[in-house]
Amino acid sequence: MRLRVLAVSLLCLVAANAGAQANKTQAGKSPELRIDFTRETLPNGLNVIYHVDHSTPAATVLLWYNVGSKMEQPGRTGFAHLFEHMMFQGSKNIAKGQHFALLEAAGGRGGADINGTTNWDRTNYYEQVPSNQVELALWLEADRMGTLLNAMDQAKLDNQREVVKNERRQSYDNQPYGSWLEKMGQALFPEGHPYHHSIIGSMDDLSAASLTDVENFFKTYYAPNNAVLVIAGDIDVPQVKQMVQKYFAPIPRGPKVPALANTQVPTVIGHQQRYVISDALAPAPAIYVGYRVPSAKDRRAAAVSLLGDVIGSGRSSRLYDALVRRQQIATNVNAFNLGLADGADELIFIATGKPGANADSLEVAMMAELAGASSFTQAELERARAGERFGFVNALQTTGGLGGRADRLAEGWTFFHDPNHVNKVLSEYDHVTLDDLNALGRERLVPTNRAVLIYVPAKKTASAETRTP
Amino acid sequence: MRIIALSLAIGAATANAQTQAPPAPGPLRPYVFPQVNQFQLANGLKVIVVEKHNLPEVEGRLIIDAGAQREPAAKNGLASLTGRLLSEGAGDLSGAEIARQMDALGAQYQTGGGYSTSFADVVALKNVFPQAMQLAAKTVISPSFPANEFTRVKNQAIAAYQQSHARTSGLANDAFIRAAFDTTAPFSRPPNGTTASINALTRDDVVNWHRTMYAPSAATLLLVGDITPAEAKSVAQQAFGSWSATRAAATPISNPIHTSSGTRVILVDRPGSVQSTIIVGQPGFQATDPDYIPMLALNHVFGGAVSSRLNNNLREKHGYTYGAFSGLDLRPGAGLFQMSSEVRTNATDSAIAEAISEYNRLVSETVPAPELQGLVNNLVSGFPNAVQSVQGLSGRIQNLIVWGLPLDFYTTYRERLAAVTPEDVRRVASSKLTPNNIIVVVAGDLSKIETPIRARNFGTVEVWDSNGNKIR
Repeated sequence: MRLRVLAVSLLCLVAANAGAQANKTQAGKSPELRIDFTRETLPNGLNVIYHVDHSTPAATVLLWYNVGSKMEQPGRTGFAHLFEHMMFQGSKNIAKGQHFALLEAAGGRGGADINGTTNWDRTNYYEQVPSNQVELALWLEADRMGTLLNAMDQAKLDNQREVVKNERRQSYDNQPYGSWLEKMGQALFPEGHPYHHSIIGSMDDLSAASLTDVENFFKTYYAPNNAVLVIAGDIDVPQVKQMVQKYFAPIPRGPKVPALANTQVPTVIGHQQRYVISDALAPAPAIYVGYRVPSAKDRRAAAVSLLGDVIGSGRSSRLYDALVRRQQIATNVNAFNLGLADGADELIFIATGKPGANADSLEVAMMAELAGASSFTQAELERARAGERFGFVNALQTTGGLGGRADRLAEGWTFFHDPNHVNKVLSEYDHVTLDDLNALGRERLVPTNRAVLIYVPAKKTASAETRTP
Repeated sequence: MRIIALSLAIGAATANAQTQAPPAPGPLRPYVFPQVNQFQLANGLKVIVVEKHNLPEVEGRLIIDAGAQREPAAKNGLASLTGRLLSEGAGDLSGAEIARQMDALGAQYQTGGGYSTSFADVVALKNVFPQAMQLAAKTVISPSFPANEFTRVKNQAIAAYQQSHARTSGLANDAFIRAAFDTTAPFSRPPNGTTASINALTRDDVVNWHRTMYAPSAATLLLVGDITPAEAKSVAQQAFGSWSATRAAATPISNPIHTSSGTRVILVDRPGSVQSTIIVGQPGFQATDPDYIPMLALNHVFGGAVSSRLNNNLREKHGYTYGAFSGLDLRPGAGLFQMSSEVRTNATDSAIAEAISEYNRLVSETVPAPELQGLVNNLVSGFPNAVQSVQGLSGRIQNLIVWGLPLDFYTTYRERLAAVTPEDVRRVASSKLTPNNIIVVVAGDLSKIETPIRARNFGTVEVWDSNGNKIR
C-alpha cells in the first residue's frame, strides 16, 4: 500500500475518508468503476479538469503545483513546504487569517476539507466546500496564484518559520523513532540526489530561508503553466468554466520551469547499510528496513505496492504471521511504499519490538522473513490485491483529501499527462502476476539494496525511569 | 528583499484603493440527512440501516453495551482486551485463518472496546460484504480465545500502553482523565488498561466477560452504505439470527467528577522533550444536556476550527505550536471540554497563559455576532461533507446511540445550530465554565518547564508520575 499521509501538511492530517459510477462486481474481480471528466487548457498554460458527482451537495477545488522538495536548492531543505505555509498568509485581496476564516465560514472543514500538503514531488492545495461556494474557493486560489507577493512580509515569514519548526518537533524530533524517514532518504539516495534530503528540512535551513527565497520560488514555480486545477463534485460544468475563465485566465504565464536534476540511480544500491540508533524516547526496539524499488511512474509500480502488502500489510502478511503471531517478538509490523515519482521509490518494512525484546533477535527474525521474499503463493497475491482494491474504492468516497477523486485526477495529469490514469489503477493491480511479484522480490529485495535502521532504547538514568506502582 | 518591500508598498496602496470583496455564494443546494431505518431480530438485536448507494461499499458495525465503563476497577482493560481477542479464534477457525479469510475478501475488520461499547466493525466492497459480515458475526458469537493468542494480545496491549506513554500526548491525556474524575469513576481509568492492570488479567476473565456481557439484547448492528433494507434484513438474519446469548439487566453506571476548589496544574515529566503537550479544560458535559447545541457553538468559537481563537492565538499570532484545538469529549453521564496543543518547550508557560486567557474570555465577553455566525455556519454547512463516507455516517449514528440521543437528531440538527445567538453562547459559558476552577495538564521536560510554570501561579501545582501518583 502506498502511504500518502507522509506528505508534510499545513495542518495536522486526520485519516482521510472518501461519487463514481459503479456496477455490480464479482468476487475476485475489480469493480467496474469510472471517474468521468473533461479537461481544458487555458492560453496561459493552466490545465483544468472537471468531474461531476452530485451525490453530496459539495465540491472540491484542488490545485497540484508541479513542485516538491526534490526541486530544493542546497542549503534550503524544507523550503517547498515552508513556502506552502506562506500561501495561506494572504495575498492582494486577502488579509492574513482570511483564507481559513472565509472558507470555514462557507462550510469547509479546516484540516479535513481545507489543507495544503507538500511531498517530494508535488505541492497540493485543496478545499472541499458546499457546492454553492465553489466560486469563493476559485477566487481564493486565483488570488494567491496571481498576487501572493503583493502581501508578503518578514513578520509572516518569521511566524510560519516558527510554525514549521514546531511541526518538525511534533512529527519528528519529539517522537520515538522520529528520525527514520530522514535517515532512510539519506541512505537510499546518494548525496545530491533530489530525494536524499527530507521534505520537512533541517532547522538550520529553515532558519536561513529569506523573503528573497520566497519571491524567487514563487516566480519560478507558482505559475498557471506549472499547475493543474481540478474542480470535482456537485457542479455545473459550463458555469464553473466561466468562473475559471474569470479568475484564472488573467494570470500571466510564468517562465519555463527549470529542469530537475538527474534522478536516475542504479536499480540496486550495491552495498549493505546498517545503522544502530540509540533512541532516548523509544520504549522498545524497532527496525526499519528500506529498499530501493521502481518509481511510481514505472510500469511495475502496482507490483511494488503488492510486494509490500504480501510481506507486511495486515494480519495475514508474512511479517505479522511470523514476528507478531508465531514468534511474538514484535507487537506491530507495517509495510508501504512512498510513491516517489522519479528515478526510484522507497519500499519500507517496519517491525516494532515487544518492550524488553532484544534488538538483535528482532533483526535476525525480520531478515529471515525478508530473505524469502521471492517465493510467494497465488493466495498471498490475491489477498494483497483485494486489499488494494478496497483501499482504492474507499478513498474515492470523497472528492477531497489525499487519494480522493480530485487528488487522483491531478496526480494522473501531473505524473502521466493522463487524467484518465485514475480509471486504470484497478486494472494495473489486476494484471500483476505471481511471476512479476517473485521477479521483483528476487531483483530488489536483496541485502545490497537496502538500508537497515535499528532503534535501540537508550539506557535511562534511574531518576528518569518511569515509576510503576 | 528590497524588491519585496517595494511590491509590498504597491500592494498596500492598491489594496486600500480597490480590494476585491469575496464572491457571493450561489443558491444553496438542498441536503437531506439519509433516512435511518430500524428493525429488530427475534433474539432482540437492534438493526439500524442507512442507505448510501454512490459506491459499492458497505460497513457493518456491531456495538455492544460492554465498554470499559462496565468493568470493575480491578479488571481495568478487560473490555478492550476481550474485544481485541474476538478476531483471534472462533469455532474451528484460528486467528491466522480468520485474518487470511478477511484479507482474501479485501475486508477491513477491526474489533476492540472503548469506554462505552465493545465493537466489531467490518467494511467491504458490496459483492463480498455478506460473507465478511458472516465471518465477523462468528467471531462475536463464538470466539475461542486460544491461550497462546491471549498471551500475545495481552502483551500487545501492554506494549501499546507503553508506546502511548512514550509520547507527551499519551501521558497528558491519561493524567487529564485522572484529574477530572473521581478515582471511583470508570472514566478516570485509561480504557485499555495500564501495564499493571493488563498484566493481572487472565484468560478466565476474558471468557467470563464475553459470556456475561455479549448478548443480542445489549447490542446494535449498524449497516451503512450500498445496501437496501431488504438486503440488510437478510444479512443481519444470516449473520446474527442464531445468536442466543442472554444477559442480566445492566446496572446504572456512576462517573462522579473530581471536585476541587481552584485551578489544579498537573505536571508529568518526560525528559528530553523539545515540546510539551498542554491540556486545559474541565469535566461535566454530556450530549443529552439541553444546552448541547450552544455548547458545540461555544467550542467552535474557542478552538473547534482552524480559524477559531486558540489556533489564531497560539499558532498564527505567537508561533508557539503547529496547531491548537479544543473539543467536547462527550461521554454518557459526564464528558470533557478541553483544549490541547503541542507547544515548544521554552514557550510552554506562555502558551498555557494564552490558553487560559482565551478560556476566560469565553465567560467574560459576548462573542461578536459575525465571529459566531462564521463558525456556526462552518458546522452547519460542513455537515454534509462530514457524512459523505460510510464511516462518517456510521460514526455519527453510533454517537447518537452511545450518547442517548434520538435517531432523528440529525434531521433538525443544522437548523438548531443556525439559531444559536451570542447571548446563548454567553449564557452557556457562564453556567458551564468555571475559569477559576479548571484543570491544566502539562507533559514535557520538567527540568526546563517546571520553574517557569510555577512562577506563573496558574493554580496549585502537583507533579505526577505516569500512573497518576503524586510525586510532589
